[in-house]
Amino acid sequence: MASPCELLLPAANEAAAQVLAAPAMAEVRRIEAKYSRYRSGSVVSAINGAAGGAPLPLDDETLALLAYAEQLYTLSGGLFDITTGVLRRAWNFKQPRVPPPEELAPLLALTGWRKAEREGRTLRLPLAGMELDFGGFGKEYAADRAAALLLAQGVQCGYVNLGGDLRVLGPQPDGSPWRIAIQHPRQEDGAIAAIDVGSGALATSGDYERYFELDGQRYCHILDPATGYPVTAWRSVSVLAPLTVAAGASATIAMLKGPRALDFLAQTGCAWLAQDAAGELHSHAV
Amino acid sequence: MAFKSDMPPGQALMLAALALPGLGVGLGVPDAAAQTLPDSATLSVDYLHYKDEQPGLDRVSVRSPAVRLSLPVAGAWLLEAGAVSDHVSGATPRYHTAISGASRMDDQRHAADLRVTRYLANASVSAGAAWSNENDYRSRALSLGGTISSADHNTTGGLSLGVSNDTISPVNLLVTGERRHTVELQASLEQVLTQRDIVKLDLTHAKGKGYYSDPYKYVDKRPRKRDVNGLLLRWNHALADGSAVRTSYRYYMDSFGIRAHTLGAEYERALGGGWALTPSLRLSTQSAADFYFDPVYDKRFGPPFPPGYTFGSTAFTSADQRLSGFGAVTAGLQAAYSFGDGWRAHVKAEHYRQSTGWRQFGSGSPGLARMDAQIWQLGVSKQW
Repeated sequence: MASPCELLLPAANEAAAQVLAAPAMAEVRRIEAKYSRYRSGSVVSAINGAAGGAPLPLDDETLALLAYAEQLYTLSGGLFDITTGVLRRAWNFKQPRVPPPEELAPLLALTGWRKAEREGRTLRLPLAGMELDFGGFGKEYAADRAAALLLAQGVQCGYVNLGGDLRVLGPQPDGSPWRIAIQHPRQEDGAIAAIDVGSGALATSGDYERYFELDGQRYCHILDPATGYPVTAWRSVSVLAPLTVAAGASATIAMLKGPRALDFLAQTGCAWLAQDAAGELHSHAV
Repeated sequence: MAFKSDMPPGQALMLAALALPGLGVGLGVPDAAAQTLPDSATLSVDYLHYKDEQPGLDRVSVRSPAVRLSLPVAGAWLLEAGAVSDHVSGATPRYHTAISGASRMDDQRHAADLRVTRYLANASVSAGAAWSNENDYRSRALSLGGTISSADHNTTGGLSLGVSNDTISPVNLLVTGERRHTVELQASLEQVLTQRDIVKLDLTHAKGKGYYSDPYKYVDKRPRKRDVNGLLLRWNHALADGSAVRTSYRYYMDSFGIRAHTLGAEYERALGGGWALTPSLRLSTQSAADFYFDPVYDKRFGPPFPPGYTFGSTAFTSADQRLSGFGAVTAGLQAAYSFGDGWRAHVKAEHYRQSTGWRQFGSGSPGLARMDAQIWQLGVSKQW
């Protein structure tokens, strides 16, 4: 997952807490192993390795996640596209170097969800070099699966926190909500707001997770699929929704929508908080 | 899955998210208490002090220490036990609100109750017993109940049956070894309406036979049977800031002719730092019993005899203020503090005032003095 992950839940003692948390933690590890593009044995690696070759038959869980990615693609007007992972070959966020358009053009030719051939239970990426990347919703999916396991065991208080995407199971044991601070996009130790959450999910998408700055301009890891260049309109967007997958997708799509983000967020019906490029805070129901 | 193009994106996104496998239904449904096994045990010790008075007469004073234990066992059972020891002393009017000749008492009452509940996936079964002893009154009761919930635990129905046997032997030996037998049936329905609202309806029907008269009051003769019907509607609402509003309406109707309505509300607000404040208000109104008579007395015999009284008559009659028509207001304030580590303390003060003129839906019984009562409660509890 490449980020700190924690489960917080109340129990009679540490041993009891471990018993409750163990299946949830195992589930998170299972999803990471299965869908990480960095693991050689993962389904995503298998799909990417078969690009340009024969259609690959897939299991139910992967098919369901691909169907979800399809819906996010449609709902976002083509902005949320899980085939844009190849663009990271041009962007190395450890080096402050902006790739020229000529470098991005061949990579952009390998992107486009509509190019992916889905037939029955198989998937084929028609061009060698095409890649799928579940990073846009994998962590959120794991958080919701872990939460479902904890809730099924009767856990009614606590939360699952996977790298800043939080799924709250229930309020603190005394009934008061969890006060969750939203990371300040420019100050490592700061927060721009604190939100009380009793249940549901809080996910944040921001331009501070992976980025470099050059000549006073910030280049972040959220890339516009049309141009291959990073979005710039928002520093961070946080969304509150009943499920982490919904909150995370809404936050990411809002970042991608740029100036049209507020219209999109208004239509989600969720509570949200966003800081624009100038540092101004916008919010709804928070 | 295809979407209608005019579906709002937020709704479409949620539907898409819900279609993902294995995410469960756990969307933060609030804890609709009492149909799932509590996951912690609680021991609480409380002290209650009650004092009532009317102008010119301090009446009854009750000091009541109590202890209560709630213990989940083996993941499926709940054991609940309580014991209370009331010390009742003071004076009560022998008829209406007459001050002279008021009867004095100094009495100790010990009571205990025990309940065992077995929780199943979507149901529960419970059995309980209660005992109460004082020098002139003994009560034994048994009850059996069950609840059944919908799969999502949002709807819970319950049914319970209770039987109690009382033995009355007043110290003035007016009667000895009188008995009272009551059977009570209760049906309840609890529904989680939204993430923030729970409503509960309880319907009660009880049939009783035996001795209902008050042997310490002059000229008190009540029917040897009493049927009671009750309805209790409760609504708990959680506000967005974490505070809670609890409202209730109770309707009481019995075969003595008493009809009573009670409206209650309390607002619990966490103040931060572990403190919570709960102001409360209760308004009630009741009609007089059919055989209650106003303080207008027989021309021949004078008080306490009702007009037209004949000795040896078997007519029902009572001058008990509690059977009169009146309205009442109770205002209270509770402060609670959580020490952390499961310890909690609370102190509550309530003031009750009952007055003839406050009766709604009719005129109250005239000629009775106003009655006031102060109730203090102090409690400490530990959860683990």
